[in-house]
Amino acid sequence: MIASDRMGHGKYIDPFRGMPPTHTVGAGEKLVLEYVILPGESREVTLRIDLAGEGAEAEIRGLYLSGTDEKVRFDIVLQHRAPGCHSRQLFKGVAAGNADVRFEGKIVVAPGADGTEAFQESHNILLGETAQVETSPQLEIYADDVKCSHGATVGRLNEDELFYMRSRGIPEQEAKALQILSFLSPVIPGASSDIENAVRSLL
Amino acid sequence: MDRKEQDKIIAEATSSEYKEGFVTDVEQEFIPKGLSEDIIRLISRKKEEPEWLLEFRLDAFRKWQKMEMPTWAQLDMPTIDFQDIIYFAAPKKDKDRPKEIDPKLAETFDKLGIPLKEREVLAGVVAVDAVFDSVSVTTTFRKTLEEKGIIFCSFSEAVKEHPDLVRKYLATVVPASDNYFAALNSAVFSDGSFCYIPKGVRCPMELSSYFRINARGTGQFERTLIVADEGSYVSYMEGCTAPMRDEQQLHAAVVEIIVEKDADVKYSTVQNWYPGDAEGRGGILNLVTKRGLCRGSGSHLSWTQVETGSAITWKYPSTVLLGDHSSSEFYSVAVTNNFQQADTGTKMIHLGADTRSRIVSKGISAGRSQNSYRGLVRMGKGARNARNYSQCDSLLIGSRCGAHTFPVIRSFNPTATVEHEATTSKISEDQLYYCNQRGIGPEEAVGLIVNGYAREVLSRLPMEFAVEAQKLLQVSLEGSVG
Repeated sequence: MIASDRMGHGKYIDPFRGMPPTHTVGAGEKLVLEYVILPGESREVTLRIDLAGEGAEAEIRGLYLSGTDEKVRFDIVLQHRAPGCHSRQLFKGVAAGNADVRFEGKIVVAPGADGTEAFQESHNILLGETAQVETSPQLEIYADDVKCSHGATVGRLNEDELFYMRSRGIPEQEAKALQILSFLSPVIPGASSDIENAVRSLL
Repeated sequence: MDRKEQDKIIAEATSSEYKEGFVTDVEQEFIPKGLSEDIIRLISRKKEEPEWLLEFRLDAFRKWQKMEMPTWAQLDMPTIDFQDIIYFAAPKKDKDRPKEIDPKLAETFDKLGIPLKEREVLAGVVAVDAVFDSVSVTTTFRKTLEEKGIIFCSFSEAVKEHPDLVRKYLATVVPASDNYFAALNSAVFSDGSFCYIPKGVRCPMELSSYFRINARGTGQFERTLIVADEGSYVSYMEGCTAPMRDEQQLHAAVVEIIVEKDADVKYSTVQNWYPGDAEGRGGILNLVTKRGLCRGSGSHLSWTQVETGSAITWKYPSTVLLGDHSSSEFYSVAVTNNFQQADTGTKMIHLGADTRSRIVSKGISAGRSQNSYRGLVRMGKGARNARNYSQCDSLLIGSRCGAHTFPVIRSFNPTATVEHEATTSKISEDQLYYCNQRGIGPEEAVGLIVNGYAREVLSRLPMEFAVEAQKLLQVSLEGSVG
């Protein structure tokens, strides 16, 4: 597992260990959280983030690679309480085997939090016949000067891409691994060998 | 534009009258207030129902008594005293369906723009079933439709004349115990429309039901059942209005649609119940269960709704895609103003292989209203290569309203693909400025932008409805510039 937490003043904490699930981000501060959940672990990630000061920012990224009987849960509530706050959330992952993945992410924009920009994405690939994914990105908005959007997808690997690579002599497993790595790359640019190995082990 | 000016325009808009808010002074017959097995027996007796239907009602009532009112919706729901409601009200006449329509009733529907006399209908394109409080007043064009084998009549008549059909399909899509309000409806439903399109028949005209609440202290519980047999087609429309009152009135309907192999049903609603006044007093509580079953392969069901009325809307027209290659669409525009609350959306349950669904939802909130989209897309184990695309947009007008989106996607099939997208924004200064610069006033500009925003949905409505819907949209939002 790799996880890091970078506040505006440069503090690193392991978010899975000893870190409170609640974060308050003050004026001008920026919170960056990264979650990586590798095969072999069941995880529950509960996060409560308050953008409490004017111009606070949050960037949260997560990826999961889950197989066998693993259970992965994301439960996130991100509140925009002050004007001019920006947040970005990006979650991507692959569910294989018997994995059971649930993502619930809520963005709340309080009255008066004008100039809010909040974006959330949850993209999932189902690989196993018995794997299941449930995703529920939610928006609760009580201010009008906002730009908010969320997107969610559940799907499979693109067959045309697979065919393209196979017709050029790339073995099926390798082609799929490349597809998954490119799918995940926006979350963690320059994926480490840990992640590459994890992807291969899932296939 | 500054806030003061905006507030002024919003205030002007909210004072615009609800033009369907009149009361018809007609002698009516009521049953006593309250809900009990005796009341249900009384309703059943009044409607001269067969024993099996009474049993169905009583069974539903017993289930309802054990259920609790759902609280999961994003709604501030008032407590409803179910003993304080009159469950049956009918215009006084010898029989349920007199030969001659009371001129006052005819006048009422005339005022609402619903033609009850066939010759008055423009080129005979729409057949209407008009429901006034608890009874259906008349159904037009029955003869013309009968020639094609199409059955279109009030639910009460269907029970008498086509009991086998009703019994075969009733509660097959929405079981009596489905949810709190469906159970209540199953126990006390009064009238509604029944429609059966036989094999291979293309219904030559639009079918339409018009629901009118008139009496004080009553609730309306209509039940609609549409069956489209193999290879048939029908376009069905539904409209509704109610008088302006301080009290809130309950409307709990159930709509069931069965679509057999290769059949195609298009269901359109323009919902314009009284929304309550600018302070949030009165209005209709619109708590409705609508569901279609695409039973046969290649069947198709399309929902289109324009929701502008009601104090509270709780409504999720859904489709169960059982047959392989079946498909469904949901197009919705929901407008809330003042203190209105809407929690509406859809469910697409994919069970068959190669099923397709598409959801386009446009929410517009103004004033102090709350507008939520709530949806579920479920890809079952058997939904091989199924596909769904959802687009849910919210438009905010004014800073005191709320817009919410609660979609859920569940996939159990690795070959299924689901995509969901949602955005929330307001009418931007730039857009308004652009219009103003070209000589289009702020009022008109908002109308233009909103209509453009909702166009994708409005263009799906049958022609007769599209015009009305566009006007409604304009009235509901008049002047609430953001």
